[in-house]
Amino acid sequence: MATLELQHLTKKFGDFTAVDDMNLSVAEGEMIALLGGSGCGKTTTLRMIAGFTEPFSGTILVDGKDVRSIPPYRRNVGIFFQNYALFPHMTVFENVAFGLKLQKLPKAEIRERVENMLSLVKLVGLDRRYPRELSGGQQQRVALARAMVTRPTILLLDEPLSNLDAKLRVEMQVEIKRIQKELGITTIIVTHDHEEAVSLADRVIVMNAGRVQQIGTPQEIFDRPVSPFVADFMGFSTFLHGVAGPEENGLLPVKCGSHTLHVRTDGGADIAPGDACVLTIRSENIALAKEPGDNVVSGQVRTSTYKGHTTRLEVTGCFDETVYPALSEYTEHKEGETVQLYFPPERICVYKDEKKMEDQ
Amino acid sequence: MRDGHVNWLCRLVAVLVMLFLVAPLVVIVLASFTPTALVTFPPQGFSLKWYANIFTSSTHFMDGLVKSLEIGILATLLDVLLGVTAALSICRYDFRGKNALLNYFTSPMYVPSVAFAFVLLQLYSQLGGVPGMLRIFIGHFIIILPYVVRNTVSVLHVFNWTLEDAATSLGANPVQVFFKITIPLAKPGILAGALLAFLYSFDEVALSSLLSTPRFITLPIRIMNYMELTFDPTLAAISTLLMVASLVLIILMERLVGLDMFMK
Repeated sequence: MATLELQHLTKKFGDFTAVDDMNLSVAEGEMIALLGGSGCGKTTTLRMIAGFTEPFSGTILVDGKDVRSIPPYRRNVGIFFQNYALFPHMTVFENVAFGLKLQKLPKAEIRERVENMLSLVKLVGLDRRYPRELSGGQQQRVALARAMVTRPTILLLDEPLSNLDAKLRVEMQVEIKRIQKELGITTIIVTHDHEEAVSLADRVIVMNAGRVQQIGTPQEIFDRPVSPFVADFMGFSTFLHGVAGPEENGLLPVKCGSHTLHVRTDGGADIAPGDACVLTIRSENIALAKEPGDNVVSGQVRTSTYKGHTTRLEVTGCFDETVYPALSEYTEHKEGETVQLYFPPERICVYKDEKKMEDQ
Repeated sequence: MRDGHVNWLCRLVAVLVMLFLVAPLVVIVLASFTPTALVTFPPQGFSLKWYANIFTSSTHFMDGLVKSLEIGILATLLDVLLGVTAALSICRYDFRGKNALLNYFTSPMYVPSVAFAFVLLQLYSQLGGVPGMLRIFIGHFIIILPYVVRNTVSVLHVFNWTLEDAATSLGANPVQVFFKITIPLAKPGILAGALLAFLYSFDEVALSSLLSTPRFITLPIRIMNYMELTFDPTLAAISTLLMVASLVLIILMERLVGLDMFMK
């Protein structure tokens, strides 16, 4: 259990900057998710914290002390590897006991701690099996037990759930969160799955091309992404381009194609009249409207996909861009049918269109 | 038995092939027990006198055996040290020309040993005074290296290097990682390579016959020399013993490596 602080952390591989001036402060017992696509620098960050890779510049502080000069085997950082990295020539017990044996603890204590940990991850009775005799979910729990049994100051989880099927994934999310809270280990989890990040972490960091895009609570990131990039990564699929008008009563009118959508900004958006901007809204927040009104636009259904708890539509004709509402009630919509869609002003996120500004 | 005919034919062929492989060996083994002065089959009577003859000093077989073992064991041990280190650095690190380096280490396999012996012979005669053991040792040391390198590389090629990171993160220093993770997991390849290398050295004729000095002669050369002068059942007897020894080694390797392979 410890605090972790990254200051101006930078990693370069030749001309390529993998991690660019990263700053982060993690509180004791906090669980942070590093979220980003492949090559965004999240795994490199993890490897620097673990000590497998040296930073180009910047500092890594654990409990306020710079750990850059400490070799990886003395950092006491527990790591869960994406492919589990269980030792194939050792039993479950030996795998979990490996770190404790290196600490030269008495045999009785090792046995006790390994058994406690195995019961925590619900693997009692499997201690004599070899990794290859276990299912994927069991192997994963062995890896988790092995990473935590040494009571690391910091726990790093690299894509812990990516190899599991959907059902096991949800189960393990609950499990990891439970164990992490129970032991109170400061944890960083790396993932490319925004749902995983949001459901596991206390705070989420969205990274792109080595740079931090946004740091915030899951709600903040999920509802108020700071840029179209983050929005796209968090599963927003409807993006509209338009031109802003003058703000009135906390509502910003944006002219998209032939329609004007009002966005509730309450003076918070740094957008001047005439600025090109991008609007985005979560599919679930677009609703069907019975009659015309403010922020109601009609369009034609192109496709309709039943998704179980939602029906996802592809609607064209309202704007230049396609709109993707996800309706919670099950209603059948035929191809070519005209629907009226309501865009709640407080649910729309608005950004300055950086690309257009550069083009001008 | 739906395919009775096919089955019957398959079995017959299988049995014939096995007979073809085993028959000469059986003849040798049986002939080694003959009391007659020439190799005869079927043997007339039973005697162990040709076995006893192996151990008489006039054949020099025991002397040859000791020298073969000396060379084989020493060369294999040193080659394991060198070959495993070479294989590790080739497999672990990414650098230009690593394939070229691997081919370089395994090139002795492709050079005819007679040509190789010729070069060494030239070298020795120019240097002069190279002792007999060293002459053969250097030759064997080089020609068996590829077996160790190749077999170790074949295991390390599919080695999961993350395991080393995992051990490191659990507190293992580089030496501990090497002996607790890397070596145990590479062991099947190293042992297989070492055994093949040793057997090659133990069996080697071409190089040894050209490089040996009158005072340092390995077992295969002793046997060859003996064969040139006498053709009695002593040869059958020593062949039988060598076969038994090989069999024991192979079983030993199965136990050691086979089990390990199974554990992976």
